[in-house]
Amino acid sequence: MDQQFDASKMGMWIFLVTEVLLFSGMFVAYTVYRVWHPETFDLLSGALDWRLGGFNTLVLLGSSFTVAMSIHSIQKSDKKATVMYLVITLICAAAFMVVKYIEYTTKFEHGVFPGAHFAPHGEHYAPFDVPYAPQFFSIYFVMTGIHGVHVLVGMGVIAWIAIRTAKGHFDSQYYTPIELTGLYWHLVDIIWIFLFPLLYLI
Amino acid sequence: MDHASHGHHITPKSLLIKVFGSLILLTILTVAVSRVHLGALNVPVAIAIAVVKMMLVVTVFMAVKWDNKVNALVIGLSALFVSIFLIFTLFDTAYRGDLSNVDRVPISDQQRQQSAEMAPADAGAAASEMPASGH
Repeated sequence: MDQQFDASKMGMWIFLVTEVLLFSGMFVAYTVYRVWHPETFDLLSGALDWRLGGFNTLVLLGSSFTVAMSIHSIQKSDKKATVMYLVITLICAAAFMVVKYIEYTTKFEHGVFPGAHFAPHGEHYAPFDVPYAPQFFSIYFVMTGIHGVHVLVGMGVIAWIAIRTAKGHFDSQYYTPIELTGLYWHLVDIIWIFLFPLLYLI
Repeated sequence: MDHASHGHHITPKSLLIKVFGSLILLTILTVAVSRVHLGALNVPVAIAIAVVKMMLVVTVFMAVKWDNKVNALVIGLSALFVSIFLIFTLFDTAYRGDLSNVDRVPISDQQRQQSAEMAPADAGAAASEMPASGH
């Protein structure tokens, strides 16, 4: 049993490494464009609302904590607490996506699209129509978009795990799916830990 | 099979709460520091805080501290290859064309100087708008 647990956990870590590879490509693109156009990136972090980004950071950190608590609880075979913590995690993830939706729609309403359709207007966004601003927003939309897809996938998996816990499939002897889901969720949190300062603050 | 023979570490609730609190404080710190103008230091400071936060999540929340050491090796190698990916790409993109450049100043810096000289009024306007944009 322990050997199976170790093997599946290492398999999960190797999957997470491929996820790191996926995101590192985008982080490298960000770095290259930032090194080429530092003044544009400096200016455009002001186009994003750090209060919304900061709220989302706190919400995701909270969800990481509750996932860790759900594993702590199932290790003590406390299924009720496990389900409760997983549900809180889902609520946090949903709050994150709602804020993301507000951010995206506000930008689209003001002509802030990725790529060739970039045509910002309105009091807040018009001053950001500077050279290489489309590149910044393309990187913003791709990075936060793919991260957002990971949040949605995580929500699906966590909901499934919560239902299985409620059905009594897991206890302190067998909880591998909860543990592996937790690892995935923490990785999604770590990606956002980097995205928030890089895009919103500096 | 009890917990001990099963060999799974149960991370204490108090430690999880402490790490969560530290992550919140570091988030507030990174926002606060970004409000202060440190010039070239703003970027490294923001990345350093993010790395500390990542280490907290990996060691305690992901329980790598008590995990099979081979997983720590997998993560360490992943981090190593990400830095190779990043640094070797920058060797190219940050110094593009400099192989045949006889000037002491890298081409990217020359271009930046040129564009700053060509549009000083624009750059001044953009810089003065930044604090006024309410961010």
